[in-house]
Amino acid sequence: MEQLFIICVDDQSEVLNALEGDLEVFDDKMNVEVCDSAHEAIELMDEIDQNGDFVAIIISDQVMPKTSGVEFLAKVTEDPRFDLTQKMLLTGQATHQDTIQAINLGGIGHYVEKPWKKDDIIAKVKTLLTRYVVQKGVDYNDYMDLMDQQVLFAELRKTT
Amino acid sequence: MKKSIKILLSIALPLIILLLPIGIIPLEGITVVEQRVIAIFFFAAIFWILEPIPIYATSLMIILLELILLSDKGLKFLMSIETNGFGKMLLYNDIMHTFASPIIILFLGGFFLAMAATKYRLDQNLARVLLAPFGTKPRNVMLGLMMITAVFSMFMSNTATTAMMLSILAPVLAVFKVNDTGKIAFALSIPVAANIGGIGTPIGTPPNAVALKYLTGQDYISFGEWMMFAFPFVLVLLFIGWLLLLSLYPTETENITLNIKGKFLKNQKAYIVYATFTVTILLWLTDFLHGMNSYIVAMIPVGIFSSTGIINKNDLKNISWDVLWLVSGGIALGLALDKSGLAARVITSIPLENMSPLLIVVIVSVVAAVMANFMSNTATANLLLPLVAVLGTSIASLDTFGGGQMIILVTTIACSMGMALPISTPPNALAFGTGLFETRHMTRPGIIIALIGIALSYFLMFILQISGFFL
Repeated sequence: MEQLFIICVDDQSEVLNALEGDLEVFDDKMNVEVCDSAHEAIELMDEIDQNGDFVAIIISDQVMPKTSGVEFLAKVTEDPRFDLTQKMLLTGQATHQDTIQAINLGGIGHYVEKPWKKDDIIAKVKTLLTRYVVQKGVDYNDYMDLMDQQVLFAELRKTT
Repeated sequence: MKKSIKILLSIALPLIILLLPIGIIPLEGITVVEQRVIAIFFFAAIFWILEPIPIYATSLMIILLELILLSDKGLKFLMSIETNGFGKMLLYNDIMHTFASPIIILFLGGFFLAMAATKYRLDQNLARVLLAPFGTKPRNVMLGLMMITAVFSMFMSNTATTAMMLSILAPVLAVFKVNDTGKIAFALSIPVAANIGGIGTPIGTPPNAVALKYLTGQDYISFGEWMMFAFPFVLVLLFIGWLLLLSLYPTETENITLNIKGKFLKNQKAYIVYATFTVTILLWLTDFLHGMNSYIVAMIPVGIFSSTGIINKNDLKNISWDVLWLVSGGIALGLALDKSGLAARVITSIPLENMSPLLIVVIVSVVAAVMANFMSNTATANLLLPLVAVLGTSIASLDTFGGGQMIILVTTIACSMGMALPISTPPNALAFGTGLFETRHMTRPGIIIALIGIALSYFLMFILQISGFFL
């Protein structure tokens, strides 16, 4: 069966550790991977795609050396291999300009401010995951406890 | 690892049966083709029970295997010119026709109706209007919810109905007190009603469709006739389920208000949906007046919604082809049993005459309900109904109690009685996914309702028998 991945990108290792800890609930049925740069994330995503697995969610920091979060997410948005991948921008210091770009180019599904609350981010990741699972046609029964119920109900109503 | 063992086991068993020396099989005069049918049947059974692949995929594999192993255009090395001892090949087009069997078209029509109703929010608006008279007292609201869910699931899929009703209910349940057991009752009321409601019409749930395959000729039951006995049955069982849930999980909450948003759409397409919905159902119920059977009537919403753009190309993707194909596989399995002559051979070879007919009815229905708890209701019907149909025609002593028709109906109802576990049905899984209750909360009412439901189905058959329905 295809594995689903959540990829967290941030240049600060303490942020990645905290994020990994908060997203522990997802580790059981999917893979939570951390990368310290956009470059590393892209390489990892290539590898995941090559193995036939799916990148369900990317959670990226905005301010990073070399490639910024928005630049990275914009690149992913253009990539047809990851057209359904859900994107979340996680940032403490985004400028007004960054925010505009994130919406217009980054195709982000959600914007979270640092510091985040554990319950909030879990709920948000569940929502994004549910969207990915139903759009991708993955069997939702395998991820029932990780689903956002309302999103799932709305989607199932459309089927016959 | 575990999965590979499952697959290996699932392939090994039918393969062994296929390769057995034919003399070992304890059926007098069995042919090579019939042996292959037995192997395919075991293949279906083990794949549907262990589910190493999706259940609809198993159905497609049945059809593929039948085309290769049993059909007149199959692999030529597997055929023999000599018919003696080899048996009769099936026509390949008969096997392929199962994809478009009238029963499949009936379901397709139901799907089109349901999809249009959802798209034009007829379902949600009807729910709002119908729920209003039930007030705000929790017990009354629950009865209202259950009745609406049951009636909707007679025409829509049980899963889509459950998804809609739970999405209405979830915000209300979120504000219940932590210790209030009423939450459990409400969360369970929806899947219970959806599971029971499916029994109400031929298109309510796929097992009913499978049953229609065996209710032909003299045993034919029209849409209206089905509803005539199934609708009251659903209402009575629903009422019992309601009382049971109220007594098992009482609530402290005094008032609940469900907030269903929306207004009836007022545009041309919406009016076409309302009219088509009404007309289709009326035509289904009045075949004795106009002569069109339910299969033909089912094409009316398909034609109208497609030509008016109410259901467009994009909407077609939302049709549950998997459900249709799951049923096709079941029909193909029944076809192979019948056309190969295996069914007739089983009837003549196995002495069933001496068994008590009523005991057989009880055994069959309990087996069906137990199986349906652990696997798909439709797959249960696919496996059991062809065998039950054989029983029905072979045991003459059943005739005093309603014969083949009766035992098929009892089994079909029992297939909808699997609702004790989260895995039993998709509605159960959805309700369980809300996290409002634990498995044991579902098991108790699930088993009690199933037992009452099975007993009630016997009573229903008794009434039908004395009223001359089976004659």
